[in-house]
Amino acid sequence: MPPIDCEDQELLEGFLTETTELIEKLDDDLITLEKASDDTELMNRIFRSIHTIKGASSFLGFDLLVKVAHKTEDVLNRLRKGELVVTPEIMDVILEATDLVKLLVGDIKAGDIQEREIDGTIAKLLPFLSENAGAAQKAAEPVQPVSETSPAQSVETPVPDAQTSPEVAPAPEAVPESTPPSQPQPAPVPAPKPATDVAPKKAPAPPKPADSKGDDLSDNSTVRVDVKRLDDLMNQVGELVLERNRMIQINQDLQQGEAERPDFQEEFGKLTKRMSFVTSELQMQVLKMRMIPVEKVFKKFPRIVRSMSRDLGKEVDLQIFGEETELDRSVVDEIGDPLIHLIRNAMDHGLESPDERVAAGKSRVGTLVLAAVHEGNQIIISIKDDGRGIDTERVGRKAIEKGLLTEEQLAALSQREMFDLIFLPGFSTKEKATDLSGRGVGMDVVKTNIKKLNGLIEIKSEKGQGSEFILRLPLTLAIIQSLLVEVEGEVYSIPLSSVLETIRVDQRKFHMIGGQEVLKLRDMVLPLIRLQKVFNVQQRSESEDFCYVVVVGAADKRMGLVVTRLVGQQEVAIKSLGNYLANIPGIAGSTILGDGRVTLIVDPVGMIEGNE
Amino acid sequence: MQDALVPVKADDAHGELIQLVSFNLDQEEYGVDVLKVREIIRMPVVTRVPNTPHYVEGVINLRGKVIPIISMRKKFGLMEAENDKQTRIMVMDVEGELMGFIVDAVSEVIRISGSEIQPSPAVVTGGIDQECIAGVINQAERLLVLLKLEMMFSRDEKKFFSGM
Repeated sequence: MPPIDCEDQELLEGFLTETTELIEKLDDDLITLEKASDDTELMNRIFRSIHTIKGASSFLGFDLLVKVAHKTEDVLNRLRKGELVVTPEIMDVILEATDLVKLLVGDIKAGDIQEREIDGTIAKLLPFLSENAGAAQKAAEPVQPVSETSPAQSVETPVPDAQTSPEVAPAPEAVPESTPPSQPQPAPVPAPKPATDVAPKKAPAPPKPADSKGDDLSDNSTVRVDVKRLDDLMNQVGELVLERNRMIQINQDLQQGEAERPDFQEEFGKLTKRMSFVTSELQMQVLKMRMIPVEKVFKKFPRIVRSMSRDLGKEVDLQIFGEETELDRSVVDEIGDPLIHLIRNAMDHGLESPDERVAAGKSRVGTLVLAAVHEGNQIIISIKDDGRGIDTERVGRKAIEKGLLTEEQLAALSQREMFDLIFLPGFSTKEKATDLSGRGVGMDVVKTNIKKLNGLIEIKSEKGQGSEFILRLPLTLAIIQSLLVEVEGEVYSIPLSSVLETIRVDQRKFHMIGGQEVLKLRDMVLPLIRLQKVFNVQQRSESEDFCYVVVVGAADKRMGLVVTRLVGQQEVAIKSLGNYLANIPGIAGSTILGDGRVTLIVDPVGMIEGNE
Repeated sequence: MQDALVPVKADDAHGELIQLVSFNLDQEEYGVDVLKVREIIRMPVVTRVPNTPHYVEGVINLRGKVIPIISMRKKFGLMEAENDKQTRIMVMDVEGELMGFIVDAVSEVIRISGSEIQPSPAVVTGGIDQECIAGVINQAERLLVLLKLEMMFSRDEKKFFSGM
């Protein structure tokens, strides 16, 4: 990390944590503000956030950041004083400025401060600061009906220190040509490319950095833990220490030959129970600390939906439920992207334009419901729209057009399998790729990420009524419920989250289709994989007629794993196999069983992929 | 620990004392830098890992950590041997990763001065890859092959490990 001009690393870290939090909140607040522009409390909070960011960054000497924050603050100040009125256009600019702040903070965080082009954004802010803000507002956005209040304001002086950044271009003419801050950007962020030649008010640019950069910002290298949770943890550890002492005592008794005592066994049994109780409590506590509310991901979405609905000319009511649902941070980190794609998908393909909706007898405003809920050891996230639903016929035709499958194959597909077609890489019903969709990548990303998390995707859709995408994800990736199976004497562990069912079958019922062993299971033809073969396990005994098939699913695929025997269910902690053995096909990791032996965890996802 | 390693290595050539753990493998004696060796354990139950290079015996549970086990004999293309009472696993630090190596027996820790290390004669070691031999130590009645752990796995092997 190249040294930042800041002696006190701790100070810097504090700054970053605080700023990141403020920015996250800011995005949310700004969107809310647009809807409730007369909420002074909210307005003040937004102002304070930006003010804090400005203050802290000037203290640490981040000049670029100060400049941007400062101008934004000025505009906000005028809004706060009622000198300006909240309009979508002002919000666009403020949001863009917030994005720039994010970008700059991101740079600082990455330890790599670069000269970024900030004048463009600042130039957009300036018109709102000039003496005749009302007029500037008019000049910049001719379409926008100027609010009645603005002429009155023109008398008032601009905020006192509006001139602190001398190099800023004179405002009015800078506006039309101001491009988003895209010039020298070696950063991984794709330069916000739209609207380079279009008038700035149409610019769909702001959301772009928010999508990609926002992720970086909310990265989770530090945790804030409730003190109460820490206290609880300490209590648990205290109990564990007591139990350990008891264990040492019992061991001493054993050494001294007191094991014959009648109550010894009972004592030991009790200790075992208490130990197991305390450790599972402890496990829960630690797990809880790793949990963060899914809100962390969800709160990005109002912003994305807002900008998309503006771009697409659709009216959308986004409803979010269950944002307080907690799940493991590792999962939270991974679900952001798939959810964005699913939301984009719903906005672009699912929901119709207001006119179409009216024509179809629906209300003008489409509804998009994002909900999270716990169910056992899983979290279920659903994205539901009341749009046009998936047109399976069209999907099928497209798939054939694109050469992804043949007529005969299509004819054999069930309704569900038809839905699954949209997950094929390269699949898109759009004729032309746009900025938003049509490249056939999005749903593939969704599938890949969900698979990576050992999750499942389910699609429900009715033509004309809307679609629902349901994601089932494990709560945590560190400790999992697993099914232990035996393959010719070797024990393997299969994540229970992927297991759909287990069946005992006669091997003579297996069929061979094109070199692939399959099993007819109810109305489904299940491809089979013999673990013995993929793992090269030596045959130990005569093969029996009966064996067990573990039906596993990953994302949208199903498959049967053939094993010799089922051993049982156990909660296991995942251990990595280290760098050297990290990428063995079909193996996700390892775990240690009660007897101290290592057992490998099967990776059903990899298996299914490998078999394709 | 890492820091302590540096001066020893740097001074190899200047006659500074270095400490080696010596072990036996098919009648030859080998040595590795003592600072690379974390611990020496007896053979525990090894869990086989499928689809790995033949010299990977599997993985073991080392007090809650899962580490890979490599058979030195197989790695060096020597005859396989039954494990016996002398068989040990040397848990060593190979470029930041803990790995266990099965050896016939571990004998002792010896001190030698850097000047005693001679470049290895071209064909002295039969099947062993020349790359991982740092040199040969020729003392009065013994010949010791000094191994360089970081060269244990060729680039291709590393690629195999990490990019399958």
